[in-house]
Amino acid sequence: MSTVALPPFWSLVEAHGDELLVHARRMAGDAHGEDVLQDALLRALRAYPSLRHADHLRAWLYRVTTTTALDHHRARKREVLTDEPPAPATEPEHYDDAFESIIRVLPDTAQTALRLRFVEDLDYDGIARRLGCSVVAARQRVSTAIRTLRNQGIAA
Amino acid sequence: MTLPAHLLDALASAAVREGIADAVYTHLPTPIGTLLVVQGQRGILRVGFPEEPEDRLLAQVAAGVGPRIVASDRELAATRDALSAYFEGDDETPALPVDLALVRSPFRRSALETLRAEIHAGDVVTYGKLADRLGRPRAARAVGSACATNPVPIVVPCHRVVPGSGGVGSYAGGPDRKRALLALEARTR
Repeated sequence: MSTVALPPFWSLVEAHGDELLVHARRMAGDAHGEDVLQDALLRALRAYPSLRHADHLRAWLYRVTTTTALDHHRARKREVLTDEPPAPATEPEHYDDAFESIIRVLPDTAQTALRLRFVEDLDYDGIARRLGCSVVAARQRVSTAIRTLRNQGIAA
Repeated sequence: MTLPAHLLDALASAAVREGIADAVYTHLPTPIGTLLVVQGQRGILRVGFPEEPEDRLLAQVAAGVGPRIVASDRELAATRDALSAYFEGDDETPALPVDLALVRSPFRRSALETLRAEIHAGDVVTYGKLADRLGRPRAARAVGSACATNPVPIVVPCHRVVPGSGGVGSYAGGPDRKRALLALEARTR
């Protein structure tokens, strides 16, 4: 059992499920959004007791959803294009590692924007302040980074 | 929340199938109000009356058995059926497994176990007599505390414990519910 006081998992699903589904659809497309989110929440549930603190749980769920969406892209591409056997189904121990390995392909500014959004859990006002840019520009950097990742996921 | 029900159902069922759900909960409408029923891997952990704030109740369960708590009517279908049969008078006491993990005090736990095993539907016992059965004749007050803090009312029948001075006495769900349960069991018997 976890040593930190984590809230009941379902309360996170109730609080953030809707926006996570929007995020999953944005990452994976309307046809796959629900499958991605269901898988992401199951992965999150598996990893939940190993979290070391109860801060930024919403941002953590966004990261898990992001990595799950990209994994699904890769799996679908393999199915379509090759007979390559699927990668061993190991769950990354820490989603921050998986998240970092995924955003590594992006330019530094895009990586920073995604970390501020999904690791530090800042809103666009906060991101704008940290990057010294306008709120519109902050929003744009995050959405461009997500779009790039999505395209990279498909093309990987 | 507007997530599709099939997504939530599939998620909760997958969690149960994998054995990673610490507890599953469901809302069950009954003649005495909608109950919140929380079941762990070994049995029912908690039954809540409508007046109890749900977030606090579930946080208490999370602190006791772990935070991987999901909601599912489907996974608790057997439990729901057994409780509904009880309220329809088809069954004297729901024969459901109980897990008293949320009861920390060994005395309170043994009081609740004895109560469940020995005091059957249609019977009542006084706080003093139950203390006698536990071999602690002076512990009537402590038996009262055990009943007042019973995490699994109805299934562990603390409503069958009444004051020696007469009347139904107090009840976590209020005296009206206690009277209703005793009346139901008098009819069922």
